[in-house]
Amino acid sequence: MIKVSDLTVKLGGQTILNDIELEIPHGHWTCLVGPNGAGKTTFLKALLGVREYSGSLQDNGVEVFRNHKRNVAFVPQHPEIPRGMTVAEYVALGRSKIEGWGNESAESRSFIEEVLIQTQLYGMHQRHVSQLSGGEMQRALIARALAQEPQLILLDEPTSALDLHHQISVLNNIEILKSRGVTVISTMHDITLAAMYAERIVVMHDGKVLLDGAASDVIHSTELRTAFDNRISVYTLDSGRPVIVAAKDEFEN
Amino acid sequence: MNEKKQASIGQIWNWKITFACALFLVLVSILAISFGPIHLGFIDIVKTLIGMDGLHGQDRTVLLDLRLPRMLLAALVGCALATSGAVYQTVFRNPLADPYLLGAASGAGLGATIAITNSGGDIYGLLPIFSFLGATLAVLTSFFISGKFFAEPNTLLLSGIAVGSFATAVQTYLQQRHSNALRPVYNWILGELTVANWSIVSWSSIYILSSIAVLISISKKLDGLLLSDEESFSLGIDPNRLRLIAVAAATLATATAVSASGLIGFVGIVVPHLVRGVTHRVTNRSLATIALAGAAFLVLADLGARSVLSPAELPIGVITAFVGAPFFLFVLRSRRVTHS
Repeated sequence: MIKVSDLTVKLGGQTILNDIELEIPHGHWTCLVGPNGAGKTTFLKALLGVREYSGSLQDNGVEVFRNHKRNVAFVPQHPEIPRGMTVAEYVALGRSKIEGWGNESAESRSFIEEVLIQTQLYGMHQRHVSQLSGGEMQRALIARALAQEPQLILLDEPTSALDLHHQISVLNNIEILKSRGVTVISTMHDITLAAMYAERIVVMHDGKVLLDGAASDVIHSTELRTAFDNRISVYTLDSGRPVIVAAKDEFEN
Repeated sequence: MNEKKQASIGQIWNWKITFACALFLVLVSILAISFGPIHLGFIDIVKTLIGMDGLHGQDRTVLLDLRLPRMLLAALVGCALATSGAVYQTVFRNPLADPYLLGAASGAGLGATIAITNSGGDIYGLLPIFSFLGATLAVLTSFFISGKFFAEPNTLLLSGIAVGSFATAVQTYLQQRHSNALRPVYNWILGELTVANWSIVSWSSIYILSSIAVLISISKKLDGLLLSDEESFSLGIDPNRLRLIAVAAATLATATAVSASGLIGFVGIVVPHLVRGVTHRVTNRSLATIALAGAAFLVLADLGARSVLSPAELPIGVITAFVGAPFFLFVLRSRRVTHS
């Protein structure tokens, strides 16, 4: 269990995260939702250890999130794309944490190949990452995270700007990670997709947690509507699956 | 099946290329010490170097006191500039970064000018020390002014440009006041290896080789700096600490190279891109190869500088630009073709 208590992050005099209290179970997929500026990405960065924070972020009672040895994979929304680096090299960077930089063993290389096949990047592995489309690049990022064999993976908007086909393919790859016992924490704008894949949903608004609970409960909650200023409508399909769409403003009706 | 798969991904860096570069450096070095107004035979050179009965008298002096220190200095300076250039390009994620970027060149130029224009020239012998101090001070000032350190690499670059311009302005003022110093300052700016002697080779080798050793030891990790800071952190790197070590070592190597041989341009940009262009690899695992290629490039350029107008000499900076620029453009063009 990752226990977050009194987590506060201030940046340039502005409070980005305010007294967050949260418990995140291991081996599950927890998704942070909320409008832009709610503090979702900052929360991920505090978990990664790159943001100064006050309060505590503990894993099984130990303060861990400034510990370099911890194997946490991070999939950013806007990655820096190294010019001239091939997909195979890019994915191989994921092995650095486990094997040390530049020390890929023969087993590692065959593991990287498996990952490339799994993420449907095999065949384009000699291409430069700068030549990949948005969906392919996202798969390359996931492939690098798979190669990292992390205990915890943090994903910042893994499906934004992807077409439906690529969204499903990326989310399925994340599910593979989860099936291996990896704890998944992501942010996601598409709440319908979040409800489909994540077990737990955390609703954030203005640097605070409004609600945290099982996906099915959160979706129908008033807190979710509050976070989005009542501008969302929730429908339930015949299959029982919830669908969240933006509601039109009153005056437009 | 597994074996077949492994072969298709292969090694990220092929060390045979490094070995080939080392071999090329040895060949070029032998060529450089045997050619000149006085031709020295290969067998005699080897015999003299391993302590057997080889060259005598004037030939021996030419080999041991002139050509050998000069060749070694060229190799050291080439190695320092090429490696520092490659490291700066990675640290600032900018393919146009060169070792003089943070004001090292202008700072060294100012230091050298102060030494040259000093009344009576009695501190001329301290020129290397002055230019070394100038380069180091300029880079430190750039860091100090930028304040945010590496949080904003672009701020650091801009403060480097500002410090460089200031140092150049002071240098120009001093030159105008001491017009007799114009020529020696100009010669120094174009770079010269004619001053090479064992004393310069020995002190510069200490700084350059130890800086290069540090840079090569962190070379594999430097690939992490090609990613965003969050990504490199998640892969086990402290990006700011790594940048600090990299820039400190690269600056020490550059300041030493500049103080030993003046400003030799183009090596820091051409050689790294050449190695990356030919091998189609951007990984910093190539750093040792870039170091060897830089050494070979400058030894060859110095041979050219000595030979083209023999017995007169061209400034080596002229050769590096004259040969380097077209070759560089050729590589850039062929890379663009393969990329598109």
